[in-house]
Amino acid sequence: MLLMLLPSIPLLGAFTLLAVGDKDVNMPFVVSSITLALAGWGLRGVSRGERLTYTLPFSGPYVPTFQADVLSAVFVLLAAFLWWVVSIYTPEYMKKEGRANSFDISTLLTLSAVLGVFLAGDLFTMLLFFELMTISSFFWVIHRRNEEAIRAGYFYLFFSIFGGLLLALGIVFITTATNGLPALGTDPVPPLEPQIFAWGVAAIVTGFGIKAGMVPLHLWLPHAHSVSPTPASALLSGLLIKVGAYGLIRTGELTGWGLQWGNTVSWLGPALTVLGSCTMLVGVIAALLQSDAKRLLAYHSVSQMGYIILGLGVCLCLGNAGGLGLIGAIYHVINHALFKAALFLGVGVIYVHTGETNLYNLGGLLRSFPVTAVLVFLAVLGITGAPGLNGYASKTLLHHAVSAAAETGLPLMVWAERLFVLVGVGTATSFAKLYYLIFLGRPAKVKISGCESRLFHVSMVILAIVMVGIGLLPGLIPQALAVPAARTLGIKAFAATIGHLSFGNANDVVSALITLGLGAVACLVGLATGAFHWAPPSWLTLEGLGRIVCHSLTAVCHGGNESYQSLARLISRTGRAMRFRLLSAYRRMDDSTDGALGDITPPGISADAALLMATLAILISCYACLHLRLPSLRLPLSFPGWNIVEQMLN
Amino acid sequence: MIDLVLALLSGTVGGLLIALMPRCGSRLRNVVALSSSAAGAVFSWRVAGAVLAGRTIRVAGMNGGLPWSLHPDPLGAVFGLIVSTLWLFAAVYSFGYMAGEERQRTYYTYFLLAFSATLGVAFSGNLISLYLFYELLTLVTYPLVIHERTGEAMKAGAKYIIYSLSGAGAILIAIVITHSLTGNLDFAGGALLADVGLRTGLDWLLALFVAGFGVKAAVMPLHRWLPQAMVAPTPISALLHAVAVVYSGVYGILRVVYSVFGHELMGQLGSSHILPWVAAFTILAGVVIATQQDVLKRRLAYHTISQLSYILLGAFTLHPWGLAGAMLHMISYSTLKMTLFFGAGIIAKQTGKVKVSEMSGVGRQLPGTLTAFGIASLGMIGMMPLNTFWSKYYLMKGSVASGKSPLALVLIGSGIVNAFCFIPTVVTAFTGEMRQPVAEKRLEAGLMLVPTLLLAGIALLIGLWPGLVWPGVDAVVNRFF
Repeated sequence: MLLMLLPSIPLLGAFTLLAVGDKDVNMPFVVSSITLALAGWGLRGVSRGERLTYTLPFSGPYVPTFQADVLSAVFVLLAAFLWWVVSIYTPEYMKKEGRANSFDISTLLTLSAVLGVFLAGDLFTMLLFFELMTISSFFWVIHRRNEEAIRAGYFYLFFSIFGGLLLALGIVFITTATNGLPALGTDPVPPLEPQIFAWGVAAIVTGFGIKAGMVPLHLWLPHAHSVSPTPASALLSGLLIKVGAYGLIRTGELTGWGLQWGNTVSWLGPALTVLGSCTMLVGVIAALLQSDAKRLLAYHSVSQMGYIILGLGVCLCLGNAGGLGLIGAIYHVINHALFKAALFLGVGVIYVHTGETNLYNLGGLLRSFPVTAVLVFLAVLGITGAPGLNGYASKTLLHHAVSAAAETGLPLMVWAERLFVLVGVGTATSFAKLYYLIFLGRPAKVKISGCESRLFHVSMVILAIVMVGIGLLPGLIPQALAVPAARTLGIKAFAATIGHLSFGNANDVVSALITLGLGAVACLVGLATGAFHWAPPSWLTLEGLGRIVCHSLTAVCHGGNESYQSLARLISRTGRAMRFRLLSAYRRMDDSTDGALGDITPPGISADAALLMATLAILISCYACLHLRLPSLRLPLSFPGWNIVEQMLN
Repeated sequence: MIDLVLALLSGTVGGLLIALMPRCGSRLRNVVALSSSAAGAVFSWRVAGAVLAGRTIRVAGMNGGLPWSLHPDPLGAVFGLIVSTLWLFAAVYSFGYMAGEERQRTYYTYFLLAFSATLGVAFSGNLISLYLFYELLTLVTYPLVIHERTGEAMKAGAKYIIYSLSGAGAILIAIVITHSLTGNLDFAGGALLADVGLRTGLDWLLALFVAGFGVKAAVMPLHRWLPQAMVAPTPISALLHAVAVVYSGVYGILRVVYSVFGHELMGQLGSSHILPWVAAFTILAGVVIATQQDVLKRRLAYHTISQLSYILLGAFTLHPWGLAGAMLHMISYSTLKMTLFFGAGIIAKQTGKVKVSEMSGVGRQLPGTLTAFGIASLGMIGMMPLNTFWSKYYLMKGSVASGKSPLALVLIGSGIVNAFCFIPTVVTAFTGEMRQPVAEKRLEAGLMLVPTLLLAGIALLIGLWPGLVWPGVDAVVNRFF
């Protein structure tokens, strides 16, 4: 019952807002507080290995079920917490954007949808909330109602709808292959038809990959995340793309981590490793070239999702031996949500007071926004993986997993490990640039209006406290949540052998510091040489390629339509000409008094002959093809003359 | 048994009453129309309930050597349920839409006669009755198509009648051949041709049947009458040209496939490998052409052509899941398409805008209408909380299970094109600039809005709880497999 209640509370809140309109109550704050408290209380037993389930008493093909295991609990608590923090920030911020009421409604609906996805007990329920999430978050993206927002909104909506359809297709394949609907959070069922099952897994991975911003399906993400109001960007980057990661983890669970049933899904691990590496790399390279702060952060979301997908890929490749990858991925989901939300909120504060998100128009704001500067600095340290903060902890785990995989000698994994280090340097470079251009550097000529609101700081301080807390006690969350989650997900052997995770390793600390140093140096070099202003030619960027493909598709569609139209016109014209020919021939026969067929002209003769021959040809071919040997027709009708027809037919 | 007769008679009696009252007020006429559709609905619900519960309801006889029979089986019962329920909604909507229009008497007379004819198609128990009611339906809907009496309407009517009658001619030939092969045209037993077995020429018999019923089911290339018939008043476009008339064609094909040929014999015919692809082509081509249309009703018409072939696709998979998908789609698509048409009608009536390119900003004038329209367009994509998700799911499942997985991809592709077809309309209606603000501010007419919203609500309810309609679907599948 509780599981059903959790998504319903925000839904009720949204309907209340819809019905009564704007009141002075901060409804998202109230609702997310209740949800957070209820989730914390209700799911307390889950980390001990309990699995809560709830089934709605429906009949027919769809019986909605809800379940909560440790993984669900992690994501539910993270979502409720993040919504709670952001809802402190929102009212003050939305004074600048306007239309706060409709924003709150879509925020609440999205919370409901997100909780529903995490608590769903079967794939249908998951898809239900997944689609609800698409629709409700679409209103975030188009909140500003300007042309850019609407375009980004369409981009987002069409990609997401495609993702939803692919998920539906995947469910079709999987239910057909396993002859039943697999329940989430239970042991996987071996498929009866492995081939179809593999197709289903591919469709589902692609569907969730769209939501997770997996290259090359990430194109919508930078647009959508940068045009929506900042609290929405924080939640989109912090949590909504994690829904994709959650789905990928559940897919891994469905496939028994790829190794149990022979070769059917063994391609999944390498595929996710490659895709994760590409996502990391493409995201960070694109981020380096951005001049808009929110777009930069959005591309980093792509890049950081790459870390998570890579972790899953390692786990799927090596099974139990790669369990550290799964644990690192879950841990990184939590940490990325925290620091990315903090970064977006920080940039949002700057936007509220200066009206500017272009990095090159900002600078020297340390003096005006000292508190924000410190808080954003903590978040920057978090995302770049500086020791002592949360990002370091999860990145170290992931790095250990990838290094362990690289030691097996697979060339794929060796390259993934090298990329991992490179992307770390790129991230440091990019954030050194962000921080330098906003808070340091020479003072910009922007007008600063108003003074910093206390509520902005409260929400960011809460995030900072949690980040530092995790950084100081890096082993707490893995032991309490990530390892139990991995155990219930099916990585039992590994989770049992892991005694404690080491984070204070001298090697790791030194390499993290070297990465930071290299990043800072690269940033200075880049700023000095203007390398960050390089605009790649359009055929080199995925967006340019996508545009080319879209244009050519449109052209093909248009051409197809044109040729269809002209074909139809040709057919109808030919038909009309033949009909006219026929009619005029009959009319001439009527008109003639002496039996002659009017004027006999060579074209007329040939047209008549052609008509005649065409008719004959059709009749002959019909007869030849038909070969309908009619048996004796015996109709229950009797009218005079029928027997003559009957005899003729026989 | 008496229910069956009363269900058929109530529409006829109501229609004739209205025809015989030339000078009555519109209020009395509305009361008669509503009560006779309600009576028809109640009686056909009772019939359908009894049939789905497993009882036999049969009225049959001979007419000069010609056997006629009214004997609904689960397929007919489900069809009757859909039709009679939606007729009620369309009747209420008509009261709002037709208020102040000319020729109301003609409109309601034929509106109610068409009700009887459609129920007759649904409940007929052999091919001859089916054929008679099918022809009758063409004749009584013709006056509704030419309701406007403009040149365009007359042309559309002529096209409609020529297409339909030639289709019916093909069906008649096919029926004669079937009778000569089997000597029996009754649906009650197993498939008619099952005993005849595989023989040459059966493919052509099937082609005759499919071409004949395919005219009304708007299978490409026999679809060209449908977009033109959209000159009829919107309730007629919604009910007849998106549901009742075209469904009688679809229903005929379902009958032919499962009652005349039977899925076993069909599986052995060569055409069973071609027909799903004809349907798939119609699905894609219809919706792609729809995206190119600017007049909203024409767009909806081409979209209808595409969606009807979903049902045929499910039937042609010859798999229980596919048939279940076809039945679910018959139920779900009709609710959503009526919502779309009703929405288009309200927009046209209240703002005078009939083109998609003019719709910008309409949503702020008619929020309720456009909300219903938006829900229905999400449903047409096949998104989860709407009933069409389930039909699409079972259609895809049937395609995969019968070894025709590419058909599932066709359905996915059609879903995406559907998104391009309607979503931008809805979004610009809510967010776009109002180009020509309407001087006269009229409220959304309740009589039109309430059925629209109710239908969208029903679609959502079935989407969340498909178990509500599942017994009917299950009965149909069990009847034929």
